[in-house]
Amino acid sequence: MEKKTIYTWVTLLVLTVISGIISTQTSNYIPIIIILLASFKFIGVAFDFMELRKANVFWKILVLSFLTVFNTVVLIMLA
Amino acid sequence: METSKIDYKNVYYPPGGILLWIIIFLELITFGMALVAMVYYGNQEPDLFHESRLLLNVSFGTINTIILLTSGFFMALTVRQIKINNKLKAKKLLIVTIIFGMLFLVVKAFEYYAKIQAGLDLSYNTFFTFYWLLTLFHVVHVVVGLVILSTVYSGLNKENNETLIEDSEASAAFWHMCDLIWLLLFPIIYLIF
Repeated sequence: MEKKTIYTWVTLLVLTVISGIISTQTSNYIPIIIILLASFKFIGVAFDFMELRKANVFWKILVLSFLTVFNTVVLIMLA
Repeated sequence: METSKIDYKNVYYPPGGILLWIIIFLELITFGMALVAMVYYGNQEPDLFHESRLLLNVSFGTINTIILLTSGFFMALTVRQIKINNKLKAKKLLIVTIIFGMLFLVVKAFEYYAKIQAGLDLSYNTFFTFYWLLTLFHVVHVVVGLVILSTVYSGLNKENNETLIEDSEASAAFWHMCDLIWLLLFPIIYLIF
């Protein structure tokens, strides 16, 4: 259990550093990549740190739905 | 300490409690709508938002993300120790969680000081109005979270411990909510414009 959480934590830190580095690049795809990396981090915190993976499927769907709607709206506006 | 099993698969008992999860969703929706508004205004004035974004220090944002995620990691470990009734280890992990939370505020204070010194205050432009309102509102949540964690620590310290697993889980859920909100704020405010 703890090992998995350590892996999640390290992954979250690596994704954060990658986001910071790629934000200095200039490409139309950079905002999309940054938003997707942030989504992975969001899922990592919610499902592992907050133990949402143990919760009823209703809560999992609710969190993922929020994330999907938020990202879709932001990415459409950025396009 | 209460060590009875909680049926998380029951829709009414998500980890942290249903009331906390209602609050979490309300907070996420509130911050989410404000961020969508920020992106909308960013589309109206792309050059201003790009130039303003470059005035922010991405290193401060990245360091603070790492600090907050690390704090969340130790919080997750704390709850697991509380669940197996290892009070001593839980207390140590909780202290580390609180220290990282305070470190977040220290870095934020340095960042805010630099912005105020440079004259980049709330009324500087639309970008900085969003920057100040969103990050300050988040800081308020972090401060409230630290107060809650301190009460959990004080509960664990008492001989006649009345801190329930549900209490620690609810406190942890609030603390992780600060992570979730920051994970939405960081890319949009610091990186994408």
